Amino acid sequence: MADRIITLFAETLDVPSEKLSEDSSPDNTPEWDSLAAMNLVSVIEDTFGVELSTQEIMKMRSIGIVRQVLRDKGITDV
Amino acid sequence: MSDTAPGVTASGPQPNEAKAALEARNQWRVWEKSVARHATEPAFRLGLAASFTAESLVPFVGAELLQMGVSPAVWVAPYNQIFQVCLDPQAAFGADRSPDAIAILWRMEDLLTPELEAFASGDRTALPSALDKVDELCAAIRALRAAFPGILLVGVPPFPYLHHVDTHSLGPRSNLGHFHRKVLSHWHDLVDDLQGLHLLDLDAAQRDFGAGHSIDHRKWYLYKQPYTDAFLMHLAYQLGRLLQLLRKEPKKCLVLDCDNTLWGGVVGEEGVEGLQLGDEFPGKAYRDFQKLLLGWRNQGILLTILSKNNPADVWNVFDSHDGMVLTREHISAWRIDWNPKPENLPLIAAELNIGTDSLVFLDDSPFEIEQMRLARPEVTCVLLPEDPALLVETVKRSHLFDRLEITEEDRSRADMIAQERRRIELKDRITGPQFLQSLGLHLQVFEPRPEHLSRVTQLLNKTNQFNLTTLRRTQEEVKRLLDAGTFRLFAARVEDRFGDYGLTGLAIVQQVAPAVWYVDTFLLSCRVLGRDIETALLAFVAQEGAALGVRELQARFSPTRKNAPAANFLPGHGFRPSQDGLWTIECDKVPPRPPHIKVS
Repeated sequence: MADRIITLFAETLDVPSEKLSEDSSPDNTPEWDSLAAMNLVSVIEDTFGVELSTQEIMKMRSIGIVRQVLRDKGITDV
Repeated sequence: MSDTAPGVTASGPQPNEAKAALEARNQWRVWEKSVARHATEPAFRLGLAASFTAESLVPFVGAELLQMGVSPAVWVAPYNQIFQVCLDPQAAFGADRSPDAIAILWRMEDLLTPELEAFASGDRTALPSALDKVDELCAAIRALRAAFPGILLVGVPPFPYLHHVDTHSLGPRSNLGHFHRKVLSHWHDLVDDLQGLHLLDLDAAQRDFGAGHSIDHRKWYLYKQPYTDAFLMHLAYQLGRLLQLLRKEPKKCLVLDCDNTLWGGVVGEEGVEGLQLGDEFPGKAYRDFQKLLLGWRNQGILLTILSKNNPADVWNVFDSHDGMVLTREHISAWRIDWNPKPENLPLIAAELNIGTDSLVFLDDSPFEIEQMRLARPEVTCVLLPEDPALLVETVKRSHLFDRLEITEEDRSRADMIAQERRRIELKDRITGPQFLQSLGLHLQVFEPRPEHLSRVTQLLNKTNQFNLTTLRRTQEEVKRLLDAGTFRLFAARVEDRFGDYGLTGLAIVQQVAPAVWYVDTFLLSCRVLGRDIETALLAFVAQEGAALGVRELQARFSPTRKNAPAANFLPGHGFRPSQDGLWTIECDKVPPRPPHIKVS
């Protein structure tokens, strides 16, 4: 089964999942613009049932960091 | 809390809401992908322009439209470019994008920031400057209305929230309230003066929802997007409902059960005196329900009764229970017997000359509701709650009779049906031609003026039976026809000695050649059928044409599921088939006005 976070990013950004990695970020992924970032916040919150603070949102500038933030918030299966 | 105000709490999204939001986003994502893959042409294109970041609204509005069975495209104009959109929509949405509808949403926080701040801190002189800005916005919208033929929705701004003003302390709070009401009142006045605008009331939406639950402070600071997903979904729902109303045919008639619906208890068992109906609960709940029904009747919704009962018992309650709000006169048709309700229901529709799909069936019995749903899926069914305290609210929440404008015709429709009943009684006594002669019919034909536009549009969109071409049009499209030199509109008002049927006929002709009129639209409301009005209207059109040098009329019949009553109109009036489904007739061959109808 595909990785949940990668799948979430692939769907929300409309990018094939094989093009995404832990290092994918707004800087190397043109689809990850500020509107996409706003959607990502909603989708992540709704999918994992968490609420992100602005600090966390601003910190989340790569898929790897998003995964770490979610783990820090107690989401174990990502 | 009620079901339409889902409870977002300060602690984050609630599971149900999160699920709904994800589902909507997913539905929209799948749709957009399929549109891109198959190059699908959308059936309905909506352009959004807002004073805030509105992109988050797109998947929710899109999903709403998809659920309504519309193939939508939703575009957002650049952030806070309302004025630019008004002055040049093509440039704002993109040259290859022409929306069918534009929605303009604004907040006082975005457009009136300095005035709001000043007023909140007690500077009342800031108000005139704010009203001037609202005037400017309205002027821009007026320009858009003049240039844009589609549906135009404008927002009513919600109660303002300023992050840097202490909106919770008493002084600023009450100042903001004052400011909001003044600006809203001015905005309403301006918008009311412009024809062909529809309001999307963000203020009411936020009130239903709770201001505290509608604002997402994080997304405001990060993205200039002020609202929670839950509130955006609520807005999308309101927007979808409004757009749906602009095209769909409204429901026309309520079909009511009696026992445990109009009153509490079963009259056949408990007798009139045993019923619950009065000023104390639970009787009060039924009385309130009857008042709600009467209010609807006054807006043109027909009330009918479909009850398994002894007719004498039911009428005895109407005649002798002093708690009754409704009287026999208010009931337009009824079937009170022991036959299955799905069999009786079409009889009611037939008697009123309306389709069964414009009926709403209310009953307290899950069995009756289920049976009706299975047998008559086109009928809207509402199961009434067991607890009478929830009766009125349940029915209101079904949004059964949402409509955009209530016309004078709507208000008097139920009275006209009562007159029709008297006409039929007269018809029973005398025979056909004699009957028509005795009616004293009077047909007035005139070119519609601006005040007739909403009724003309309603006729175009609601008339199913006697309608040659069934071309639906928005009010803006009708207005364009009036302004276009090549079209002529003939509106017809019908009266007889029993009363005024109102504006009930319409013909639209297009000059397609110097001496030829093409009959684009020819329709009559079913209220005036069977009186040769169509012959009189056609004669009038032909006569007008002849006076203007027109020699030939061309027409077309476009069959639909419902317009069989118009099928024989063209051959029956001497039109001859020509090529490509066209029918033609020379103006001087058109049958003359029937002698029993006076025309002016």
